[in-house]
Amino acid sequence: MSKPSDLIQGTLDLLILKTIALGPMHGWAIAKRIQQVSKEALQVTQGALYPALHRLEQQGWVRGTWRESESRREAKFYGLTKAGRVQLDKELEQWHRLSSAVVLVINAGQEA
Amino acid sequence: MKAGRWWDVLRMRFRSLAKRKRVETELDKELRYHLERQMEENIAAGMNPREAREAASRMFGGVSQIEEECRDMRQTQYLENFLQDLRYAVRMLSKSPGFAVAAVLTLALGIGATTAIFSVVNAVLFRPLAMEDPFRVVYLQEQWQDLFPGVSVGNFADLKKQSTSFTELCASNNASFNLEARELPERVIGEIATADYFTTFGVQPIAGRFYTADEDKPGQPRVVVISERLWRTRLHANPSIVGQPMRINGMPTTVVGVMPKSFDPLLSNSDLWIPAAYTAEQLADHDDHYLNVMGRLRAGGSLAQAQSELNVIAQRLQKQYPLDDKDRGFRLQPLTTVLLGDHRLGLRMMLAAVGFLLLIACANIANLQLTRSRSRQKEIAMRAALGASPGRIVRQLLAENIVLGLVGGVVGVFLAHWALSWIITYGPAEMPRLEQSRIDASTLAFACGVALFSSFLFGLAPALRSASTRLNEVFKVSSGSSGGARDRLRSLLVVGEVSLALILMVGAGLLVRSALLVSHVDPGFDTSNLVVGRVGLPDPGYHDPAVARKTFERMITVVGALPGVESVAVVSRAPLAGGGSSNGLLAEGKALDTANFVDSQLQIISPSYLSTARVPLKAGRDFTPQDSRDRTLVAIINETLARTMWPSESPIGKRFVCCEAGPKGRLDPVWHEVVGVVADVRAWGLDRQVQPEFYIPIAQMPPSAWDWIGRTMDLVVRTRRGNVPVHELQSMVASVAPAVPIYRLSTMQQKISGTLERSQFDTFLLAIFAVTALLLSSVGIYGVLSYIVAQGTRDIGIRMALGASQGRIVWDVLGFGMRLAGIGLAIGLAGAAASTRLLSSLLFRVRPTDTITFTAVSLVLLVVALIASYLPARRATRVDPMVALRYE
Repeated sequence: MSKPSDLIQGTLDLLILKTIALGPMHGWAIAKRIQQVSKEALQVTQGALYPALHRLEQQGWVRGTWRESESRREAKFYGLTKAGRVQLDKELEQWHRLSSAVVLVINAGQEA
Repeated sequence: MKAGRWWDVLRMRFRSLAKRKRVETELDKELRYHLERQMEENIAAGMNPREAREAASRMFGGVSQIEEECRDMRQTQYLENFLQDLRYAVRMLSKSPGFAVAAVLTLALGIGATTAIFSVVNAVLFRPLAMEDPFRVVYLQEQWQDLFPGVSVGNFADLKKQSTSFTELCASNNASFNLEARELPERVIGEIATADYFTTFGVQPIAGRFYTADEDKPGQPRVVVISERLWRTRLHANPSIVGQPMRINGMPTTVVGVMPKSFDPLLSNSDLWIPAAYTAEQLADHDDHYLNVMGRLRAGGSLAQAQSELNVIAQRLQKQYPLDDKDRGFRLQPLTTVLLGDHRLGLRMMLAAVGFLLLIACANIANLQLTRSRSRQKEIAMRAALGASPGRIVRQLLAENIVLGLVGGVVGVFLAHWALSWIITYGPAEMPRLEQSRIDASTLAFACGVALFSSFLFGLAPALRSASTRLNEVFKVSSGSSGGARDRLRSLLVVGEVSLALILMVGAGLLVRSALLVSHVDPGFDTSNLVVGRVGLPDPGYHDPAVARKTFERMITVVGALPGVESVAVVSRAPLAGGGSSNGLLAEGKALDTANFVDSQLQIISPSYLSTARVPLKAGRDFTPQDSRDRTLVAIINETLARTMWPSESPIGKRFVCCEAGPKGRLDPVWHEVVGVVADVRAWGLDRQVQPEFYIPIAQMPPSAWDWIGRTMDLVVRTRRGNVPVHELQSMVASVAPAVPIYRLSTMQQKISGTLERSQFDTFLLAIFAVTALLLSSVGIYGVLSYIVAQGTRDIGIRMALGASQGRIVWDVLGFGMRLAGIGLAIGLAGAAASTRLLSSLLFRVRPTDTITFTAVSLVLLVVALIASYLPARRATRVDPMVALRYE
């Protein structure tokens, strides 16, 4: 089971942005979704999730709105802003470049 | 899109700051929601509610920790800490009100003085002239030897034709006009200007139009453009004024336009402009140099390029008009420099003075802060022990200074406001735009900047020092012996204060001495019971020289008959009345070469003038009514001219040539014979150099001279005692010349104080600043010594217990104080000697390194320092050894 500290720096932002790209979600749902989609491999603790959400909000990439949730209670839903969408594209591209580079290095190591 | 994001970011930051409480509750709510969902999940998985809650909480970790991290993410903690620091600072300051009040007042004094003077400098020097792109407007003068006269009409016409550096080139000359708009005729100041005068400055009229180039030709119907002030004050702001007639100099004239209030391009308070309409004769005249010429530089062209083009044209003109334009060149300067240049030095000196004052104030507060930081050492050490970083402590102490700075700034702005209204009321009337000084946005920004700058200045050193304090030292040494390094810093501050104060005092001392010397200058005539007023006869009706002369002679007769009048005379320009006309004089026997001409002031006088003004006759005789045009032309010269023209001979009976040409053409000399020599009259001001001057009788003046002086003469009235009532003089003049006013009526003594107004004002202000600086720095000395005595109580007690005499103790404390003052004095004297040179043009008969001033000022400083040191020294002797030792 991965702890957030094991995540590569900045990956959490990417995961959050990607997750809410489908539509606004509240914090608990975001954590749950990341957990489910990664087949329990990635578990985002609240201690990392909420500061990250607030940071993203401060930077203008996500916007929080209070709405009634599926459990019929008020919850803060985070949605992507336009700037957030651009940022997501940028981070995705960076991630792909980084991960393919990592793969190259690892494979080269095996051949040698 | 980018802008949208920045908007979002700003909105969030603002929200995090301004709606902190709401953000906090929301954060709390958000986390609780998460916790509850986790709990529900646990219950669904089969736990009982209590277990579920515990498990959820366990998983969640510390709520407050997460909250703290979220807050960090919002990145507002710096500001929040800062606000917290400010609140803490206010609390700390209100606990020591004595210190706070002293610091705020000292600072307010510094900031107030600085802000007031800055407002004046801003209004007079920095604010651009009210015209389009003022930095491209230039002022053109002729240059002949080291004189810079106006431009002749002929040269102006040629320049306008030949130069390509200017988009506009216009000319004007100042004149005053008799205006008949209401019951009494009035004299108004205006300009005779070419039609492109208005387009040169690029200012639009608020009503009507400018006059056109066609109207600016001889023989056209008379038109006038008037100022907003004239329109408002004398024409009742008549909305349909354009197209109305008014009588100017007795001629019906049509108003075509009204210029806005701010329009006064030459800062000459002009109220009307009439077309120059140069005649063919004027356009050919290269000999009378009186025009103001202004130009607008072509876009992209520089002053230097324009100047070099003018130099080329000047050479051409020298060849073309060898008689008039020989050795004549042109000088081009930015209009701003010409108009405001005179005031730069005085105002900069004031700004420097208040800057010094502010520094001294800051040094004083820094000293107070050092004293406090000593007693707060334990508090600070405790904070450091509890984990505050040095940076955090410095920030906290600086916050305290910022509070002081801001409060001092607010009080200072009030002081400045008050000082400014005082300056505007009592300041020199001749300083242009002074009345426009006010506390506005730029002044407030300046005051705010000064306040913050000074709070860093006086706060940084003490704060850094406190923050670097070692914990163990503080707790190890309880109290008693003084810290050496700290005293050095304090001493350094005091030495700096003393030296700055000394520089200010020397500057003020030099100005005061100069003012005293000026007040003892002999004006060269008797100024008591002398009334002067100016009378200008309009050209129509008085064009004939004989009529003009008869009119003035009749005026002398009727005014002389008034009760209380002893004698009456007319003179073309009375002393200190400003203006005058200069002429080149050539002594008989000298070759006709420009080098031999003596530039001299011409005075046309009635025979009674010298006796009325009581100008002492040194040799020869006075004029008599018998000196008429058909007799020998005579002249009386002043001693300076006598010395210049005939250095080693008696000038009586000598002849010189000047002023007019004989019947045989321009080179036909007209001789004047010197019949008398009179004392020098300080015609330009008591503190000005005496010019060579010569007098010719009104009956012998060349007919064309009436045009040079604009048919204007000063009526000089000697009364037996007191003043002649103004209305009597007015009605006497009007009885001789109907619709002609007498204006600029004042006593000679008023005129003298008018010319000294500016230097006296400068002196007065600088003296106030110097005294304040002296007081502040003596407070500095007093503070340091008191502190040292208080800290050294135990040492003093021990020494006294061991048998040191009281005298010995006093001597030590005094010695320390005087050592500080002495070092400050030495540095200050060096600084003063290096900097007072800048004042030399403001000084009269005093060298910038005047020994008397330097000595006197040093003595004053030492005496004050002695007093400031004596008080703490005496306190030291009152230390009771027993109490001091038990104090531990």
